[in-house]
Amino acid sequence: MGDLLNISPILASMLVVLLPFLAFLAQAILGKRGKSGNISLVAIILSTLLSLIFVFAEVWKNIPISVDYHWFTIGTHTFTIGILLNNLTALMQLIVCIIALPVHIYSRSYMKGDAGIHRYWMYLSLFCFAMLGLTISNNLLMMYIFWELVGFASYLLIGFWFTKESAVQANKKAFIINRIGDLGFLLGIASVYSIYGSLNLVELFGKDGLFYSLPQASDGWMTFTGICFFIGAMAKSAQFPLHVWLPDAMEGPTAVSSLIHAATMVAAGVFLLSSVFPLFNETVLLFIAIIGCITAFISAYFALGQRDIKRILAFSTISQLGFMVVAIGVGAWDAAMFHLATHAFFKCLLFLSAGAVIHEMAHFKEKNNLDIDPQDINNMGGLRKWMPKTFILMSIASLALAGFPLTSGFLSKDAILISAFEWAIHHGKAYLLIPITLTIVSILTAFYIGRLIFKVFFGEFRVQAEKLNFHEANFNMIGPMIFLAICSLFFIFSWNPLAYHHSFILGGFEIKYPFAEIHSLHIVLPIILTLGSAVSWALGWNWYVKNKYPLKSNNQWIELSLNQGYLNEIYEKLFVKSTLSLSNSLYWFDKNIVDGFVNFMASIVRRIAQLSSWIDKYLVDGLVNTIAGTTYYVGHLLRWVQNGRLQNYLGFAFTVLLIGIIYLILR
Amino acid sequence: MELAVFYAFAALTLGSALLVVSLKNTARALFLFFVVLFGMAGLFIFALADFVAITQIMVYVGGVLILMIFAFMLSNKELLADLQNTSSKFLSLPNWQSLLLCIGFLSVMTYGIIEWQENTPKWITENIRHENILKSSDNNINQLGIKFMTQYLLPFEVISIFLLAALIGAAHLSRKEDPN
Amino acid sequence: MITLTHFLLVSTCLFCIGLYAIIAKRNAIMILVGIEFIINASILNLVAFSRYDKVNYGGQVFALFAIVLAAAAVAVGLAIILNVYRKYKTINPDNITDLRD
Repeated sequence: MGDLLNISPILASMLVVLLPFLAFLAQAILGKRGKSGNISLVAIILSTLLSLIFVFAEVWKNIPISVDYHWFTIGTHTFTIGILLNNLTALMQLIVCIIALPVHIYSRSYMKGDAGIHRYWMYLSLFCFAMLGLTISNNLLMMYIFWELVGFASYLLIGFWFTKESAVQANKKAFIINRIGDLGFLLGIASVYSIYGSLNLVELFGKDGLFYSLPQASDGWMTFTGICFFIGAMAKSAQFPLHVWLPDAMEGPTAVSSLIHAATMVAAGVFLLSSVFPLFNETVLLFIAIIGCITAFISAYFALGQRDIKRILAFSTISQLGFMVVAIGVGAWDAAMFHLATHAFFKCLLFLSAGAVIHEMAHFKEKNNLDIDPQDINNMGGLRKWMPKTFILMSIASLALAGFPLTSGFLSKDAILISAFEWAIHHGKAYLLIPITLTIVSILTAFYIGRLIFKVFFGEFRVQAEKLNFHEANFNMIGPMIFLAICSLFFIFSWNPLAYHHSFILGGFEIKYPFAEIHSLHIVLPIILTLGSAVSWALGWNWYVKNKYPLKSNNQWIELSLNQGYLNEIYEKLFVKSTLSLSNSLYWFDKNIVDGFVNFMASIVRRIAQLSSWIDKYLVDGLVNTIAGTTYYVGHLLRWVQNGRLQNYLGFAFTVLLIGIIYLILR
Repeated sequence: MELAVFYAFAALTLGSALLVVSLKNTARALFLFFVVLFGMAGLFIFALADFVAITQIMVYVGGVLILMIFAFMLSNKELLADLQNTSSKFLSLPNWQSLLLCIGFLSVMTYGIIEWQENTPKWITENIRHENILKSSDNNINQLGIKFMTQYLLPFEVISIFLLAALIGAAHLSRKEDPN
Repeated sequence: MITLTHFLLVSTCLFCIGLYAIIAKRNAIMILVGIEFIINASILNLVAFSRYDKVNYGGQVFALFAIVLAAAAVAVGLAIILNVYRKYKTINPDNITDLRD
């Protein structure tokens, strides 16, 4: 027993990664018989326990551990695979496990009865394996491999109901846009390798790493590298303008959306940026901050006008990711990781609750044979009466999202905003635009999530029907949600509910900011945010519960928000149509010019063949026939020599004799 | 004087010979053959071979030529009709190739004769020197008879048998076949 | 003086005429006539030379033999012509071209 409890962190982390992989293989082999998903569940439980006890507890705030194994060599370049266990990676691994576990339990009842459930467990395990492998990667190449695998698992899961046309289009779109990001990531890897000659994170950024010892490469080169990595993060973490795949990714099952597109995969981009943070110079950081800011603002605006409950949550995810990216841009990547952790919990909870609501709405639609969209919030209302537990849990999550005091979200959002203000003040007046925008976004966040809660749970049910029997979700679904709600409260992350400095995560990272701390902000800013949230909620109550809506419903600003700023249409025109027309023109070129050329050559050859055949028939054959004819003619002539006439014979004989005699005489 | 007569005989002979080969009418040609043979006999006389001349007339003219004329005359009508040309021409055109050939031979042999004139063989010159040549006063028949019976006996006998065989053969060859 | 040459010339001419008759005439009997001419020419030749041969009288003797031969030749030749005519129904040597079947 003692030996069993003495598993080294490296071995434990390897097991954590491999257990879901084994579950994936087992599900694949079982095929249609693996409907219960117990294998995946057991694997993820074991992984969570291992990760918590043997990895996180050992590595947090300890010396980082790293091992690598030689993988392959090309010429003089060697590539390895290995495991890196430091604060960042252990934390990330734990977050993934802890979020994946409730989702697995929830999925057992949410996906019950689905025809392809065996595939669902297979893909889910594959995703867990890939994500866990990503978190403990030792070098950039390995991270890239798992990055791609995560994208692939996401593709499989978005298009889970592949018979639906919209699902197929959505997973294609997600994969293509992620590809653009992957290209950036790959360019970044190549650039790092060409400058430093190594991809190992420890070698590069460790205490006496290559990054510090080798002379600095030129500024332009570093900017390029940084931007390349950021492009990778942009696609994976849905930053503007590569965010367009995330709203469409809501075609997948809600449990998938909660795990992948809220908590873990989209956080991978932020994780990458934190891992290679020393690489970014001033220009790149500013660029990152600007993009994050734009993303946060635009997606908050789009969330205001959406009707689909999952779309609202998707845009909310994009907006919060924007927050995380801005935190990285100002240099406070520990704050970004803190927000990543808290966001994972409450966003997952939000999605799971939404899933419960949609589940009930779908049942309602079936029972009454109606033709309504079960996800449209305009079809819901007053569900608080029938689903009180869901209502409470979702409200806790919404408060955390809005950053209300006493929630974990309050701490992490404060960390980001205050750091942003300090950074802006340190750098100059123009930089204040970013934190101010973020403040406005926070208030908008409160507004749109309030709108969602009010429209779904308050007021009267908006659809006329006979059978209105909604009931609460069963314990398999409620249980994980309760767990997540507990984790959305402050005491998981810090004993002090109001000051974020003492939170465990920030204490673990212990990075020093280059800008000064301004204490006054610590008091002023939270007050401003709380007041702003309260005002927006009051406004929302007025508009949505009391139905005193001032604007017309087809207001052009609302239309713009609903249609996501027509970005999708712009992309369609710019990229999709041009690619298709290029493809058409190339097809025309190939068919007419290339084929035409080939046919032309063929016709030339045919002409030559005809000419050659003519020559053969008339000239060559003619020559042969002429010779034959001549021979026949000469023979025909000479035949008369032997004509049987005696006198002719005599004549010839005497002629020859005469000639002989003349010759003899003349000689 | 001798020379003129000789030339006359020669001309007669040769002219008749030419006519023989030129005439279209075969019967007339055969009759002109007579003249040729007689002319030849005369020429033999000039060569001081009187016995040969008489033999020529007797055998050749009286035998061979009569045989030919008999054969010709007693042939079928078809044979005669075939032989007699219906052409109105008297002389036939010579066949030019053959003419050329013959003129060629003539010229060659004439050349040879002229050449030979300078290179007379030794035995002739010896004989002329030793006066061993025939004179007109010689008795040829006597000498020929002696020669036939002594020196040339074997050839004489052989040629008689030969002639007999040839004639028997000819008679057999030309027998009439039975109609069946 | 009648030299040897004169005889030789006459015999030559007669020989050539005979040759012409053999080669050019379209009548088998005329061919025989041509043969006769040639034989006669040779006899004349023999006789011309025999003048200088008192010892052997060779020329004249041989001339007599030649006459006999000529007779035999004519006899046999005519018999052959008769047979040929029976088969070919013509004595134009141009038409007598087939070998025996």
